[in-house]
Amino acid sequence: MTLSTSSETRTSRAVLTDSVHRRRPQFRRLAAWSTLEALPALLSGLLVARAVNSFVARDLQAGFGWLAVFAVSVVIGAWGTSQTMRLLAAVVEPFRDDLVTGVVKGAMRRSAAPSASPHTADVARLSEQVETAREAYAGVLMVVQQFIVVTLAALVGLLTLSPLALVFVIPPVLIAVGVFVVALRMMADSQRASLFADERFAEDASTLASGLRDVVACGAEDQVAASVGQHIDAHASATRALGRLEAVGTLAIAAGSWLPLLLILGFGSWLVDHGASAGVIVGAATYVLQGLQPALEALVNGLSGPGLWLMVTLRRIVASMDAAEETAETGSDGSLIGPDRTLRLSSVSFAYSEWAAPVVDRLDLTVPMGDHLAVVGPSGVGKSTLAGLMSGLLEPQTGTVRLGEVRVGALSRAALTRERVLIPQEAYVFAGTVRDNLTYLRENAPAGELEHAVTALGGTSLVERLGGYDATPDLVSMSSGERQLIALVRAYLSPAPLVILDEATCHLDPQAEAVVEEAFHERPGTLVVIAHRMSSAARANRILVLDGTTSSVGSGDELLASSPLYRDLVGHWQGLGTSPHMTDDSAASRSWWSARRPRRHVRGFLWQRRRAG
Amino acid sequence: MSTPGQRDRPDHRSATRLLLRVSRHGGPWIAVLCLNVAVLTAAEAALPAVLGRTIDTVLGRVPPGHWLLLSALVIAVLVLSDVVDLVGETGATARSASWLRHTTVRHLLSARLPRLDSFAPGDLVTRIVANTVDAGAVGPDVIAGLSSLVLAVAGVVALGLIDPWLCVTFLAGTPVLTLIVVAFAKDASDLMDRYLETQGEIVGRLVEALAGARTIAAAGTTERETRRVLTPLPDLHRYGKGMWRAQGRLTSQDTVVVALLEIAVLGVAGFELSRGRIGPGELFAASQYVLLASTFSTALSSVSRLVRARSAAARVDDVLSLDTVAYGDRALPPGPGRLDFRHVRVRSGGQVLLADLDLVVPGGSLLAVVGRSGSGKSQFARLAGRLLDPDEGEVLLDGVPLPQIERTSLRRAIGYGFERPVLIGATLSDAIAFGTHVPSDQEVLAAARSAHAQDFIDRMPNRMWTPLADAPMSGGEAQRVGLARTFAHADRVIILDDVAASLDTVTEHEISRALTSAMSDLTRILVAHRASTAARSDIVLWLEDGRMRELAPHHELWRDPAYRALFEPAADHSGELAAVASGRTSVA
Repeated sequence: MTLSTSSETRTSRAVLTDSVHRRRPQFRRLAAWSTLEALPALLSGLLVARAVNSFVARDLQAGFGWLAVFAVSVVIGAWGTSQTMRLLAAVVEPFRDDLVTGVVKGAMRRSAAPSASPHTADVARLSEQVETAREAYAGVLMVVQQFIVVTLAALVGLLTLSPLALVFVIPPVLIAVGVFVVALRMMADSQRASLFADERFAEDASTLASGLRDVVACGAEDQVAASVGQHIDAHASATRALGRLEAVGTLAIAAGSWLPLLLILGFGSWLVDHGASAGVIVGAATYVLQGLQPALEALVNGLSGPGLWLMVTLRRIVASMDAAEETAETGSDGSLIGPDRTLRLSSVSFAYSEWAAPVVDRLDLTVPMGDHLAVVGPSGVGKSTLAGLMSGLLEPQTGTVRLGEVRVGALSRAALTRERVLIPQEAYVFAGTVRDNLTYLRENAPAGELEHAVTALGGTSLVERLGGYDATPDLVSMSSGERQLIALVRAYLSPAPLVILDEATCHLDPQAEAVVEEAFHERPGTLVVIAHRMSSAARANRILVLDGTTSSVGSGDELLASSPLYRDLVGHWQGLGTSPHMTDDSAASRSWWSARRPRRHVRGFLWQRRRAG
Repeated sequence: MSTPGQRDRPDHRSATRLLLRVSRHGGPWIAVLCLNVAVLTAAEAALPAVLGRTIDTVLGRVPPGHWLLLSALVIAVLVLSDVVDLVGETGATARSASWLRHTTVRHLLSARLPRLDSFAPGDLVTRIVANTVDAGAVGPDVIAGLSSLVLAVAGVVALGLIDPWLCVTFLAGTPVLTLIVVAFAKDASDLMDRYLETQGEIVGRLVEALAGARTIAAAGTTERETRRVLTPLPDLHRYGKGMWRAQGRLTSQDTVVVALLEIAVLGVAGFELSRGRIGPGELFAASQYVLLASTFSTALSSVSRLVRARSAAARVDDVLSLDTVAYGDRALPPGPGRLDFRHVRVRSGGQVLLADLDLVVPGGSLLAVVGRSGSGKSQFARLAGRLLDPDEGEVLLDGVPLPQIERTSLRRAIGYGFERPVLIGATLSDAIAFGTHVPSDQEVLAAARSAHAQDFIDRMPNRMWTPLADAPMSGGEAQRVGLARTFAHADRVIILDDVAASLDTVTEHEISRALTSAMSDLTRILVAHRASTAARSDIVLWLEDGRMRELAPHHELWRDPAYRALFEPAADHSGELAAVASGRTSVA
């Protein structure tokens, strides 16, 4: 059945044929057991015919005997049915496994791409679609298998019963299948239209459910009602079209099953004249009404239901799968970096597309080995992009990022992992033991070092709360701050000399953040902190201020003198003595910062705390 | 009906009434279906008998003549009404369901907002999308259920008419069928639960890994994490196979029982045939009637569908019984955007959220609303733009009570900025243009600039025309787009509910400057958490336990330690900075 027109479907068809080809032995076994399943269908008419003839001849024993044989064939057939279901499972479950694996791999690969944003909702929807595809695949296989087996059995049975009767049966069945195939093509379009309209409606509904307040506050009720209504109506009309086409399918079944019966009955006297007995007529009618008709009906319902669903959903799923094969590990192993691991950015520019304004524009920056650099700037200014560039996750469009003598982008993945560690704002904690989570970047870390890292970062009480290193914590119960602390210990433990913390402490309280940053400060190697709070900047040796198009580097004091933005960010220097109620614009910009809580000597406080611990 | 507690016990009568309304909206199709199903049932019940007679005539070597004609006629009627049934069913369901969907969406759009908090968004979506369809199918479902019930009865009666013993045989065999179906249903559902659980685990792991995408990318552990996500797959495979086995058993039991019933009836019929009490054609008819009589299980399943339709209807009914907001029909007279609060009181349950609020916000002024959490700040903000109606007293905009103002004029006059705006539209530009009217591209750009959203929007792959789905935004960025939406529409009053909370200090500063300069002709109400925000206002409304404690300029209030204490506990960025900076100076 060729229903596809676009190249997209061909790939989903490739997935289907591939799944059939790879499991040919299972399919062969399925076919073999199917013949057993078809036994009652094959024998029904014959045995009923014999029984009727015996009953007519008043041979009760023979009559009941034939029926008993029929009963036995039914039981054997049922056993065959349960066996074929088992074999069907052996084909369908691996198919589902393929789809799940493909979807997961695709999602993981795409999320690893630089500018990806994880679409969690899409993932959930995909998993639903995999389930639909699995059931639809099974449905189609079942229907096709039954149609073939039962139809063949009925035809063979008819042939043995009365070859003449076949003349009345085969042509209508062929016509019926032909008509149905034509209808099915059109049904596929309606089904797709109906599904798409319903999905769009569901999207609208979920926007509405979460954003009703916004819709009302914007006064956009009419606009939304119109847009939603459009999708409701589109869905309804596609459903109606589908219903009309299904009616054509019903007509096809009718033609394929009732016509043979009427023909057999119409030419019944002629058949009887040519030697057909009462049993033959009843048997032939049984074959048609209990063999052919249900088989045709199943085929039509199966293909117009599950069949269409399979096509539509599989197309989606395949589109989300990632066809790319594992790329062989390339790149330098890092031996060329040399002893000096200075991070050098020269004239680095980066934009998310050729139409977009650059996020980083011709930036020059040198971070010597052992430096502690803080990056500050307003949100959305490109601090995370800079972290991505420094860590080799993003390739600059122009300019180079070098670590020692080697371009960061030219390092192999293994070398990168060895050389630098990036901890982003959203900490990744997975379902596993505390130890596995902590040693994620250094799997065989000695217990002493692990202990040291946990203590240094102030994570002892967290590990205790989670139940020790070998406990598997309940992820739901962990706060964002706790997750960040886990990720930070992980980074501290890693062998990499360059640590980049991209707002990795934003969910920690200021004191805990100070502990963490102090610990990293003491850790040998280079530290780059994308600052969430200005307090992070105060702890660094040098500060990089990003201001969209411009940037400046220096110590805090230098920047206070040279960078207006930095002054703005640290506006209290001027505002310290000013009362915070001034409302004229210039005073306000200074007083902006001055509404502060009582001063606290953070370092002193920390020092005491550490002594106490 | 509208409180969550009551919703747990669905109102069956109200749900049934809704189902009746729903099926009435199936339109003419319902009547057609009713008539048609009578014809269909009659034809189906008559057919085996007619066929049996035809066979007997044929076997009597008499040209079948009118019996054959009658067979053909009955078959033709059967096929035709089958077609009508199918078209009618989809037609009626589509009409009913889309009526219900339209109605639900429209009702939801005019619902009183605070009530909605009792639905989780996902739950609400299910009610709007899935439950409406389940409920919409009720008319055809009832008709089909009745029809299969009638057919089953007709089959049993016909068996009895052919020969009473056939009827007895069938009825004796039936309980076995029922017992087996019931006994095996349970087994599979247990496996199903475990299957779904495992499936959920895989999705959960994947979502978890996607949230940590950056960590994984940086650590180069994509393959390792993929394996971790797929760890439960073998379990899924095992449960899946178990489900198929269970289903296989069920199917084969089912077939065996029906086929054995048929054979038993055939045996009894054969016995009668041998005694000449019935003809071969009647035997054939009997075998067909057995199949017809077995449809009673279909009738049973349609009862369960009916139950499902009613519970679906009850869930939709919950949405439809939400209170709605009525808007007036008065246009706003020209005015500066002056808001009057007169003896306003807001209650929720037995609790008073706002009381005795009397206050005038002069046109063009900047009012900061401060207070501890739970003091009524959000209620005040909602009242000011009629996202909430007071239980007592009234709020007036330029002299007109808010409930009397026509909806579009009201929303055009008053705009809201939220802490977590939900952005609606295909692209960023659409999201900003979303509202009572469609602003020009220039206005959209200007609004984006005022909200300081322009810079980061320009860095998006397609700038202003980047699809929202492809525009990853931080909370602060989304908030600025939301602000731009407000700036592009509101022309008298802007109410910012806690917007500054997740903006960084520089951005907040800049937006605040926009509010004090560019928007200075509008009335502005800001729910403020930072002293710096309050410092920029003309006047501060200090709420405490739902009452106005003070209404005075910030610098006057600042003398009060209790007022200053309001701004302390929040980990204020500026305060934090000051603390560190002073720490640093002391070290330096």
